[in-house]
Amino acid sequence: MQLTLNVNGQNHSVTVSDGSMPLLWVLRDLIGLTGTKYGCGIEVCGACTVIIDGQREHSCVFDVTSAVGKKIITIEGLSANRSHPVQQAWIAHQVPQCGYCQPGMIMACAAAMMAGHHGPEILPEVQHICVCGTYQRIRDAVSNL
Amino acid sequence: MTPQSPQAPAQKMEIGRRGFLATAAGGLSLGFFMPPANRVMQAASPIYEQLNAYVRVGTDGSIALAFGGAEMGQGAMSGLAQILAEELMVDWSQISVQQALVDPVVSYITGGSSAVSNGYAPLRLAGATVRELLIAAAMVLQRDSKRANYSAASAVVTYTNPTTHAIATWTYGSLAVLAASQPVPANIPLTDPSKFRLIGQPVQRVDIPSKTDGSAIYGIDVRIPGMVFASVVHCPTIGGTLASTPVKPPGAIAVVPCTASDSRGVVAAGSVNAVAVVATDTWTARNLVKGLSLKWNLPPSSANIDSAQILALAQQLVTTGTPIVAEPNNPTPPAAVIEAQVASAMAGAKKTVDATYTLPYLAHSTMEVMNCSVNITFTNGTASSCEVWAPSQAAAWVAGTASAITGVNPNLVTVHTTFLGGGLGRKIEQDYISQAVQVAMAVKKPVKLTWFREEDIAHDQYRPFALVHATGGLDASGNIVAWFYRNVSPSILLQRGWINPGDLDSSGPDGAVGLGYALGTHVVEWVPLPAGIPVGFWRSVGNSINAFVVESMIDELALAAGIDPFTFRYNALTDPRARAVLTAADALSSWRHSLPKGHAWGVAISQSFGTWVCEVMDVSQLAKGSLQVNRVACVVDCGMAINPDSVQAQMQGGIAHGLNAALWGQMTFTAGKANQSNFSNYRVMRIGEMPQITVQLVTSSGTPSGIGEPAVPPCAPALANAYAKLTGTRVRSLPFFPGAVMGGL
Ligand code: FES
Ligand code: FES
Repeated sequence: MQLTLNVNGQNHSVTVSDGSMPLLWVLRDLIGLTGTKYGCGIEVCGACTVIIDGQREHSCVFDVTSAVGKKIITIEGLSANRSHPVQQAWIAHQVPQCGYCQPGMIMACAAAMMAGHHGPEILPEVQHICVCGTYQRIRDAVSNL
Repeated sequence: MTPQSPQAPAQKMEIGRRGFLATAAGGLSLGFFMPPANRVMQAASPIYEQLNAYVRVGTDGSIALAFGGAEMGQGAMSGLAQILAEELMVDWSQISVQQALVDPVVSYITGGSSAVSNGYAPLRLAGATVRELLIAAAMVLQRDSKRANYSAASAVVTYTNPTTHAIATWTYGSLAVLAASQPVPANIPLTDPSKFRLIGQPVQRVDIPSKTDGSAIYGIDVRIPGMVFASVVHCPTIGGTLASTPVKPPGAIAVVPCTASDSRGVVAAGSVNAVAVVATDTWTARNLVKGLSLKWNLPPSSANIDSAQILALAQQLVTTGTPIVAEPNNPTPPAAVIEAQVASAMAGAKKTVDATYTLPYLAHSTMEVMNCSVNITFTNGTASSCEVWAPSQAAAWVAGTASAITGVNPNLVTVHTTFLGGGLGRKIEQDYISQAVQVAMAVKKPVKLTWFREEDIAHDQYRPFALVHATGGLDASGNIVAWFYRNVSPSILLQRGWINPGDLDSSGPDGAVGLGYALGTHVVEWVPLPAGIPVGFWRSVGNSINAFVVESMIDELALAAGIDPFTFRYNALTDPRARAVLTAADALSSWRHSLPKGHAWGVAISQSFGTWVCEVMDVSQLAKGSLQVNRVACVVDCGMAINPDSVQAQMQGGIAHGLNAALWGQMTFTAGKANQSNFSNYRVMRIGEMPQITVQLVTSSGTPSGIGEPAVPPCAPALANAYAKLTGTRVRSLPFFPGAVMGGL
């Protein structure tokens, strides 16, 4: 079936074999936006986090058909030139190690800020898995957002 | 860093055995050799003493380091550039790092915490050589060959006329072509370490910006025009092989049975142990491959892959097995002789502690699952060249893997190393690379093969299980006078044929030998445990096992002697670096003298990869079945720190990793099958469980040692020592909380 998705302010027309295909794989394999990551596929790790109509969502379990007509933001569309305060804090605190989990972390923090949370209030929103163990730096980076 | 990496230079000019070669394609390019990983991996590499890194100075003024190693979060890419920029006399903002294409004649393995320590001397020499070549070019233009009249800074060579003090300057870019034709000077002066501008500074890592906006390309992100997507399932029973090829389901592009690349335990090289389905996207491929009804032949040996059976076998072998003596080793006495000496010293001891410890198999569970992309060019139906993109710690082996399957000459295999979403030792393996190449051969299209998490955890090459029997004897004043240590564990090296049966696998007793302690009459032995489960290198390898036992035993002995654990260690340690680290940790953890009620502390110290790390933990118990690590004081001596901020990050990350393993990490097997499959039943910590870690660096020498792994080994014993103090219960079997599960977000 043919669908139109609005991702980072742009419309993308995609053909999927099944409407229950998770948004994650549509973004990555069909649209080519690979910044959103696969980690577990079962909503445990958070690597696949995107923002849909202002809400943090786990794209690995988000049916693509449910995303039609909504505004999807991925890590690529968070800002131009890494200017979003979360991205700047991440660079200032040298948060990423391997970096693989970080798009999900950053999107969850950005969503929390959109919802009006600041500083340590953001932390409950980023219960994601980071195998590299960058948690202490995330705490530091979030503290003055 | 994109998959489209720069081409290796075309012209080559040999300057010496380990030496440099300079070429003049678009400027100056100087190749040199950086030793890969450790001795074991070097020996297993087909060709290893070749050029594998390049410095490039472009006519456009660009200055770049290209290296063939893996950036997996340890900051190697950045640390290496820092060393080069130092000697090259350029600013941190002036240098960039590119991922070098891996030339098939070039070998680079990233492991053993070696990237920066092995690269230190060659990079300094390379940077200084390029600097001197650029100055030599300026001498030609200035017609004054007196070196003292020239200086270099911020990518500019400056000439100062000694009489008139008139100045002439040239940018590196303007000198690059001429510099490439200058003879390499005989004596290259290196910068006096007291004048270092960059080495030792917490500069910002070069790879971090791209890791905040989705532009960093990991293996799983590679896109090739016209590519198709594959997903794979393995026989759920380890060692099983496909009985018959399934029919292609509707919607699939192809079904490809895949053979195992290497023999590992009951998995035989060449046996069909997996099936891939190719489709238009990864998710469709996944659904189709999961939906196949597959029949497998199971060898009888698979039934022995059972945690209870393996434990029972280890318990038997610890007394009946044939031990191989690892220490003393100069010379190595017959086991019976040294055992008798230890037994007699033990008999004379005032007090003894005798204990048996067990540690489980562990999965790597790197954040980025196994994946690989391949594009093969066919000429008249025959593979004529091959390109591979992989998150690999062993790009050098990838060319060989692809060549063997495609028949393409290794010189025509191009390997692109992408960023790695974690390596942890898992990504030196070739299984996933081989599968992707097999699929690309079968479908004759560019393909990306991705393992789903369930395959990643259930078909790993695991950190070995181990059972250790240890006995320590004390004299009346609390000195260790006798030490018996016998480790029973599967052999990583034997399983891959790198050693012969009966040989010592050094990874077995790693972390139990060469200790900084005076142990009196002692013996350290290893008994190979024949077990069919594939095993491999896991962050800090044998150290992750033996440091737990050694440092728990030391604590048990301190308790038996009635001596404070810090004092006991200080008295028993003979290594001056260890003593300095312990002393610093004593001061850094002064909070331990005023802990709130319900808290307790524990300490452990160990050396691995040339680096000493001491960790002191403050723990408390919220409820039965849980444990909170509140803070950790961590002191590290890694010789010298290239980037202290990267050292701190690796200590923080290593402690998190070590705690994950100690608290919850455990692979169990029943009748040939792994019981864990995803983070839901292979638990790791979330942010609220991360302790507050304070890191202090102690500098002891002028050369850097490893930082990626050494924080892991002391973690589990520091935790166990604190737990023993908190609860009175000594945990001798890891993990603390077996069977832990993790809820959804
Ligand atoms: S991949 Fe979606 S939560 Fe892990
Ligand atoms: S930075 Fe590697 S998993 Fe988080």
